[in-house]
Amino acid sequence: MSGAFRRAGLVLGLPVVLFVVWWFASYDSKDFYRPPLHKILEAFRDTWFGERMVQDVLPSLIRLGIGYAAALAVGVTLGVAIGSARWLRALLEPVLEFLRAIPPPVLVPIVILLAGIEDRMKVIVIVSGAVWPVLLNTVEGVRAVDEVLADTCRSYRIRGLARLRHLVLRSASPQIMTGARQALAIAIILMVISEMFAANNGLGFLVVQFQRSFQVTEMWSGVLLLGLIGVALSLAFRFVDRRVLRWYYGLRAVERQPK
Amino acid sequence: MSQPVRAGRVGQVPALLGAAGLVAVAVALELAPRLGLVPAEFMPPTSTILAELARQLQRPEFWVALRDTLVTWGIGLGIAVAAGTVAGVVIGTVPGLRAATSSTIEFLRPIPSVALIPLAVLLYGARIQSTLMLVIYASFWQMLVQVLHGVVDVDPVARDTARSYRLGLFARIRYLVWPTALPYVVTGVRLAATVALILTITGELIIGTPGLGKEIAVASESNAVPPMYALVLVTGLLGVGANLAFRAAERRVLAWHPAIRVEAAAAL
Amino acid sequence: MLAVRGLRKVYEGHGRRVEAIGDLTFTVGAGEFACVVGPSGCGKTTLLRCVAGLLPPTAGQIEVDGRPVSGPPRGLALVFQEYGRSLFPWLRVRDNVELPLRSARVPRGRRRDLVSEALASVGLGDVHHAYPWQLSGGMQQRVAIARAVAYQPRVLLMDEQFAAVDAQTRADLEDLIRSVWQRFGVTLLFVTHDIDEAVYLGQRVIMLSAAPTHVAEDLPIDLPVERDQLTTRADARFTELRGHVYAQIQAAKRAEPSEV
Repeated sequence: MSGAFRRAGLVLGLPVVLFVVWWFASYDSKDFYRPPLHKILEAFRDTWFGERMVQDVLPSLIRLGIGYAAALAVGVTLGVAIGSARWLRALLEPVLEFLRAIPPPVLVPIVILLAGIEDRMKVIVIVSGAVWPVLLNTVEGVRAVDEVLADTCRSYRIRGLARLRHLVLRSASPQIMTGARQALAIAIILMVISEMFAANNGLGFLVVQFQRSFQVTEMWSGVLLLGLIGVALSLAFRFVDRRVLRWYYGLRAVERQPK
Repeated sequence: MSQPVRAGRVGQVPALLGAAGLVAVAVALELAPRLGLVPAEFMPPTSTILAELARQLQRPEFWVALRDTLVTWGIGLGIAVAAGTVAGVVIGTVPGLRAATSSTIEFLRPIPSVALIPLAVLLYGARIQSTLMLVIYASFWQMLVQVLHGVVDVDPVARDTARSYRLGLFARIRYLVWPTALPYVVTGVRLAATVALILTITGELIIGTPGLGKEIAVASESNAVPPMYALVLVTGLLGVGANLAFRAAERRVLAWHPAIRVEAAAAL
Repeated sequence: MLAVRGLRKVYEGHGRRVEAIGDLTFTVGAGEFACVVGPSGCGKTTLLRCVAGLLPPTAGQIEVDGRPVSGPPRGLALVFQEYGRSLFPWLRVRDNVELPLRSARVPRGRRRDLVSEALASVGLGDVHHAYPWQLSGGMQQRVAIARAVAYQPRVLLMDEQFAAVDAQTRADLEDLIRSVWQRFGVTLLFVTHDIDEAVYLGQRVIMLSAAPTHVAEDLPIDLPVERDQLTTRADARFTELRGHVYAQIQAAKRAEPSEV
């Protein structure tokens, strides 16, 4: 029981201290740019728990969801294809390395040119930035399929879709998840940036509007919301990751034990 | 026993294929607008972009912008690496500190740095500090997490040995923690450099601090399509160059190390 | 059931030619238990990979159940030397054993029976839901054997099975192999470098020469069918046979390895 308390203390201790310090240090703040925390929280409630949730937050998250899902699907599909054929890999590697090295946000003006400024543009921006880490990591993962397992599948005549599902995808899954984690961070950045650049709704748009019209408290609440979304999505990702890769973390823990 | 590797100059064939791939893409992007498959005013052919790039290279403004980008990137990366390393070593070696801070780190790290853009603009306007704030915030976490991995990796036997010889904190860090953590630090620098470059360009693009990103934004707003593509090409080359340089540096620094840590990079 | 005729395998690459197998010919009858021994580096694993259809021979023919082998044949299972690596780490024990059956479209109920029976026959009735990496080396070995058994092969190939397990486990596994063979009536080709093991296990010991490999001698083992670690190994006939095989292998090692 005391162990659980200790752990709770360790997890919550510092965050609570920081929160309390912020709360009291800013309580009487007259600094226009640094409003008191309680005002920010009030603004948070008034700003986001209303129709803005439906009009701005939800569209942003839906675009993020569609873009991220499409990036995963495209990245894994192409990654499996490229990773399975040696010549294709050699042919495309430099091209892919270059595409990955382009800082994703500079794609925003290009995609605006080609796809306008509607929802479609934002989804395409997210896909075009988030697809590379998934793709390249999938290629690595597919390439590294264990030889003995590949032979096992051959010798038990496990082929085609069954092989793809039980051997290739599963054995590449740790790398795919690594790529997916990087892609998620990039996708969130691009969701915000594409809306800051050109939009008439969405979180990024609204936060910049607040900043431009000097609604500082509302702007702080928007920054807070973006932060919370980032944290929530990362927790969700970790939950999925732990489930999908349970075997992998278990295996690694066993391998690390001293023999 | 596996099937023997097919004979031949293994290193050369992929390199040739890779070059062929680059050429093929360049040719495809040349032909697509010329054949009217995509509108040329939105997607100029490769030759136009390359000609524009050559023109850019003769403009002093281009070099100023490139220098600004490199300076912002360098300063931001330097601060983040220094702060991340010091914080990582301290948090990792002082007993209890790691446990007390881990939830806070886990909370702060996934906050998207671009969320700070409006804040930075309010506080610093379109000055370089705005972009630095983003760059440092994003790459600091990258660095810190790698260093923490490295410090934890210290061999328990070596740790006990150090304790039994009563090495002081400083000596422990110098002779025990630092050598173990070094590979992770180097990997951290490489990863932080990539992130820092992305956010440098992002800050310039969105906030308008001077640099290549701002040039792209200006080109985009004035509908100067070929310059925009040429500048995007430059940022990509910058990214590739940085990646290659930091990988080479990594191999160099770690040449003495028994195992170049592939794992740390994979665990990102 | 299993026929190898004039098998020859030459590896080429990096400007070198290595003749792993020179000229191998032997047959194994239905339900027979044959052990293959030879000095290290004599191409035992190459032979198994050719028979399993994983490696195309340079020349010669292999027939399993009367059909020439051109790829992994139906009704043949191979238990790999690297048994630990041959188990899917993301599948639980049960699913590992079941996967080849699912792929062969065996109906669900039948699958369940086969898997349970196979796991029970190797003494693993209680670890269905463990992951392979949670098990000891010896138990992983049993899972790999159970997977092969559940596949209902007519021909079972085993490669250097027990090189990496401790002596006690090894003895247990040897007896397990005997019982599996008797129970399921498969044709078993067992490759090992351990002379004692070959004599203890098989009805026949096929001795190979050093590379380029051919059959040095094909020796019937006239020990009783019921064998156990204590009495069989103490049997005078066992000692005699072992001595004979040992002498042959030594002679094979000394023979000039002829260059190609």
